[in-house]
Amino acid sequence: MQLISVDVGGTFTDLVFADTENNAVLIHKVPTTPDDPSIGALDGIRELCRRNDIEPGAIDHVFHGTTIATNAVLEYDGARTGMITNQGYRDILHIGRHQRPQNYSIMQDIPWQNRPLVRRRHRKVVGGRLAPPTGEVLEPLDEAAVRAAARELRDEGVEAVAVCFLFSYIDPRHEEQAKEIVRDEFPEAFVTTSAAIAPQFREFERFTTAAMNAFIGPKVRRYVENFATGLRQNELTAELHIMGSNGGVATAAMVAERPVMTLLSGPAAGVLGGAWAAAPSGHDRLITFDVGGTSADIGIVIDGDFSESTARDTWIGGYPVLVPMIDIDTIGAGGGSIAYVDDGGAFRVGPHSAGSRPGPAAYVKGGDRPTVTDANLVLGRLDKDNFLGGEMALDEAAAHRVIGELANRLGMDELEAAEGVLTILNSNMTNAIRARTVQKGLDPRGFSLVAFGGAGPLHGAEVAAMLDIPEVIVPTHPGITSAAGLLTTDLKYDQIKTEFQVKGAVDMAKLAADFGQLERELLDQFAADRLSADDVRLVRSGDLRYVGQGYELRVAFPDGTLDKAALAAVWTGFHRLHKADYGHFFPDSPIEIVNIRLTGSGHVPKMGRPAIVGGDSLAHARVRQGTCVFRTDGTLRPFDTVYYQRDALPVDKTLDGPAVLLQRDATTVVPPSWNATLEPSGNIILRHKG
Amino acid sequence: MTSDQQPLPESQGNRQSIDPVTANVIQGALENIAVEMGHKLMRMSYSSIIRESEDFGAGLVDADGRGLCETPQSTPLQSGPIPGYVRGMRRLFEARGDTFNPGDVIIHNSAYHGASHGPDVAFSVPVFHRDALVGHSVTTAHHLDIGALSPGSCGIVDAMDAYAEGLQFKALKIYDRGKLNAPLWEMLRDNIRASDLVVGDMEAQIAASRIGAERYGALIEHYGLAVVEAASDELMAYSERMMRAAIEKLPDGVYHAITHIDGYLDSPDPAHKNLAIEVTTTIAGSEITVDFTGTAPQVPDRPINMPLEGTTDCAVWLTIRSILLDSEDHGHIPQNSGLTRPITIVAPSGTLVNPIFPAPTIARFCTGNQAADTLMKALAEAVPKQVSAGIGNLHVIAFSGIRDETHWVHMEIHEGSYGGRYGKDGLDAVDTLYANTRNNPIEDLESHLPLRVHRYELRDEACPAGRWRGGIGSIREVEFLEDGGASVEGEGHEYAPWGFAGGDDGKTAGLQYRRASGEVLDLPSKLPNMAAKTGDRVIMIGPCGGGYGDPLERDPHQVLEDVRDGYLSIEGALSDYGVIITAAGDLDEAATTAARRSRRQENRGGK
Repeated sequence: MQLISVDVGGTFTDLVFADTENNAVLIHKVPTTPDDPSIGALDGIRELCRRNDIEPGAIDHVFHGTTIATNAVLEYDGARTGMITNQGYRDILHIGRHQRPQNYSIMQDIPWQNRPLVRRRHRKVVGGRLAPPTGEVLEPLDEAAVRAAARELRDEGVEAVAVCFLFSYIDPRHEEQAKEIVRDEFPEAFVTTSAAIAPQFREFERFTTAAMNAFIGPKVRRYVENFATGLRQNELTAELHIMGSNGGVATAAMVAERPVMTLLSGPAAGVLGGAWAAAPSGHDRLITFDVGGTSADIGIVIDGDFSESTARDTWIGGYPVLVPMIDIDTIGAGGGSIAYVDDGGAFRVGPHSAGSRPGPAAYVKGGDRPTVTDANLVLGRLDKDNFLGGEMALDEAAAHRVIGELANRLGMDELEAAEGVLTILNSNMTNAIRARTVQKGLDPRGFSLVAFGGAGPLHGAEVAAMLDIPEVIVPTHPGITSAAGLLTTDLKYDQIKTEFQVKGAVDMAKLAADFGQLERELLDQFAADRLSADDVRLVRSGDLRYVGQGYELRVAFPDGTLDKAALAAVWTGFHRLHKADYGHFFPDSPIEIVNIRLTGSGHVPKMGRPAIVGGDSLAHARVRQGTCVFRTDGTLRPFDTVYYQRDALPVDKTLDGPAVLLQRDATTVVPPSWNATLEPSGNIILRHKG
Repeated sequence: MTSDQQPLPESQGNRQSIDPVTANVIQGALENIAVEMGHKLMRMSYSSIIRESEDFGAGLVDADGRGLCETPQSTPLQSGPIPGYVRGMRRLFEARGDTFNPGDVIIHNSAYHGASHGPDVAFSVPVFHRDALVGHSVTTAHHLDIGALSPGSCGIVDAMDAYAEGLQFKALKIYDRGKLNAPLWEMLRDNIRASDLVVGDMEAQIAASRIGAERYGALIEHYGLAVVEAASDELMAYSERMMRAAIEKLPDGVYHAITHIDGYLDSPDPAHKNLAIEVTTTIAGSEITVDFTGTAPQVPDRPINMPLEGTTDCAVWLTIRSILLDSEDHGHIPQNSGLTRPITIVAPSGTLVNPIFPAPTIARFCTGNQAADTLMKALAEAVPKQVSAGIGNLHVIAFSGIRDETHWVHMEIHEGSYGGRYGKDGLDAVDTLYANTRNNPIEDLESHLPLRVHRYELRDEACPAGRWRGGIGSIREVEFLEDGGASVEGEGHEYAPWGFAGGDDGKTAGLQYRRASGEVLDLPSKLPNMAAKTGDRVIMIGPCGGGYGDPLERDPHQVLEDVRDGYLSIEGALSDYGVIITAAGDLDEAATTAARRSRRQENRGGK
């Protein structure tokens, strides 16, 4: 089978072609076309096919990672959106949780007040009210009012409508009724109901998620349709899949319906790609460390499973969203991060980035502030003639100038200042990793760090050293790991239902019936994508808490019949997880099942692993000898350092640090007291010699 | 790290110099510890006042009693007082001849020894390094009940002295060298309502404090005590430099303001109501003095007095920091004791802002926020572009009842709103100044308690006029589905938030009680526990902040937007702003210009 992935980044669009018959893999890169990213993506596909004599019609699947939904939110550039909600609750979206984002600020803006997803004039209220716990109808839906609201919204020129009623997660019937009426009156509108998008309690968060889906809906739908049309015009009959934030792909039709699924698709593909690349190295605990020009994305993978962020920790552009997402911590730390001395005299690095324009001073594109890349160059860790495969020469004098100015301001030696930039950046990234490991009861020393992205392999070993992680894995093509990740996923959909059942009084029949309902809904979705039940793997889980708590933990539920023994395993699992995550558990407290979840994975073809040939000897791979500055035992000093061409390294020959490994899309630093080995899989393994 | 690097020119008084790289690395590590403590406490806790409202704090204090770091996810009135709690504990320990030992956990809530007020109980774990006390890891949280005279721990507005407010823990060891003090625990359990929840929350606090102590100990082990101390000195010196630089930018001078609180509007005693809070702020170089002389005497038998250490001081620090080092402009600045060094507070003893024991203090929440607002009003003259017009104050409501022979208690903070700001309208329906809690989802509330929320939305046509309008308050209407009770502590029924620079005053808050029979009572801002019958409703009406600047200067297009969003009627657009909107809903620019011109002439003629 022939597969293509297209990952659209801020600057470049990366493409990977894989032929599953012969394990061939080809990569390609084109500039991103920000106005309509599908233009660059289609150009890339055309070029890749032409250059390699690939018949477009022979491609079976196209996998696409897109930031179109994310950018619509971040740039507040979506549809004019309307809302139909309960009488008496017009401003749930506006009041939010009545908390200010910043504790210490008078002049702050509140995103949901300052940039409303639905302006107040377009928020229409109608009679109708359900009540917990069963969804009892206190007041029937005022259908005439819904009809009138739909007409008003149409006349006001809205493009999309979110239907949001209290307690719809218990019973969606009022929302469904209202949706039908809107469809009837206003068929061209993009309509979303809150229960269909996020059937969980907490009205502000659920309504916001639905409103966001509506806000970005028309734009994403148009984009997906254009892309699909573009593929056909280029004679591609391949099926289009789009990466979701949950670590799986969805069909174009599903994404057009639920664009909020894709809000974190870029970083999710990175985690998948990192995990896939590391797999042959045989480690079951991985920290993915994806560092680019402006940010670092950190994910945790244990036994091939990604942790998912809890619903209450998921924010985009300052808005809460209740959709399943891989737990990824993104911090403002990358090659372009700017180092500076602030007004109080403290030494800071990031989160502001020079990006790729103007970029680091060494790019000589107008950047005049010291960045992490400049510091790496000053310390000899980047090679001025071998950056981006030699396409862009770095200007050492410019890097020395800006780092020298920084050093003067700090009253430090130039090299101390340059190394200080890296230490501060690495420390910021280390704290982010600690928050995902140590603070959750995971010992980072038992993990391997998978370092990728353009800057990950530069910093991987030193970050690992700060955490006493003994081993770093650098994938074959660190710069296109996300695009590769797109070719390693499954079709993945999630269903969720708020349950509110308490240990000791669990209605087993209801629990089983509810899981049954989720299963039917899920299999229907897969059936629509032409996958039968046999091709789908279903995984049950639940969000549990001690009765009275406000935060839930995700616990696995066993397959098969749900009986007392099955539930006993669930309770034990919850106590254990609570202890691991918080350092404490309450054995005598009753436990509440807040939500149940069902995740389905449907198999789609994946890329194979090409065999690596490797060079003849280390001597052949050697480019030159130079000087690199490292700190050992508290002292900063220059070391004689060999620079190697990574593509020419021999397999299974270990080289000692200090060394620098050059390749087209990234540079790997092997510090003193570390060594490096190219594995047959193509991965470089850095090991601490201590 | 090398130690031969030069210290920064401004740093002073360091025990050991520290290089800027290590200082940065240790700052990150300290803040990471505080984040972890807060994160775990919030997630482990049971009662909604902690887990949803986030009315808790967490932080580390060094061996000298100075705050090192605090969790960002908390309300400022909880983390801010933590160093004061520690100082109070240390005073009590010294007086008793007690000592801190490894394995101790100390419970403390004495409002006259640094605690913010009785329900905000601290659990503190002393941190040791090679047998020496090197600091304290502390969490604080607002507990549902502390054994006061009526259920809940807010709206205890009729406590007549400190003893009526509930249990007082004056730095007692709940764990002594690792051993549980079981009788103390039992006594606590026996004397508070909803004790399962409260004790569960306290256990969560202990666990989070212990994690903080463990992490802080490990940090010192890793870097060495001297390096961590030097970094801490530098971090505090840094925050102090930032604050001094901000104060230096202000014109030297004396700035004065006065506002009033309702107190007990229904009391026959004039000393219970219409009480002044007066602030005189003196700016001299990089120092600022906040003098409360002129503020009303303490109310000896009603609990709206503010402990100086724990409430008044935090109100002052929070306000100055939010205005002068606004995080919107200054980004993140380490929150530690260095920030408060350039600030002197003068609070005459025996007044509302510095009461004398045993004057009661449990319901001081709104009084303290009014003190913060008064200080902002004084500073408005010095920094008019960095303040808001008067804020709308808050209400705290306790709902309670008995189900299956046990108490249930639910506390809600009903939000206020901000006044208009230079270049920006006021924030609508939010917690203000030193409060920054979260509301409870209606869907959570109704699923777990016999309450129903019938309305929660912005007030109608309640938009205080100004070039930048005041924020709009909300209305929340809650029905009892079973018999129970309610009590309230609030403010702002008599005095509207102040308008600024020509803006209109804001709108007062209100509180109504609608009996199932249909009878409606208008209540004052303080309500001692009142029995509620099934079907009764409490209606909270939030205040609207003051307007900023002359309404005739407001962009007419913005006025039109307000009309379209239902914040303002067409009539209001004309009467408040001189803006003429046609029946078709369009702006009549020519007529508006004319109307505004004649309005200005009238105004001039009237003066």
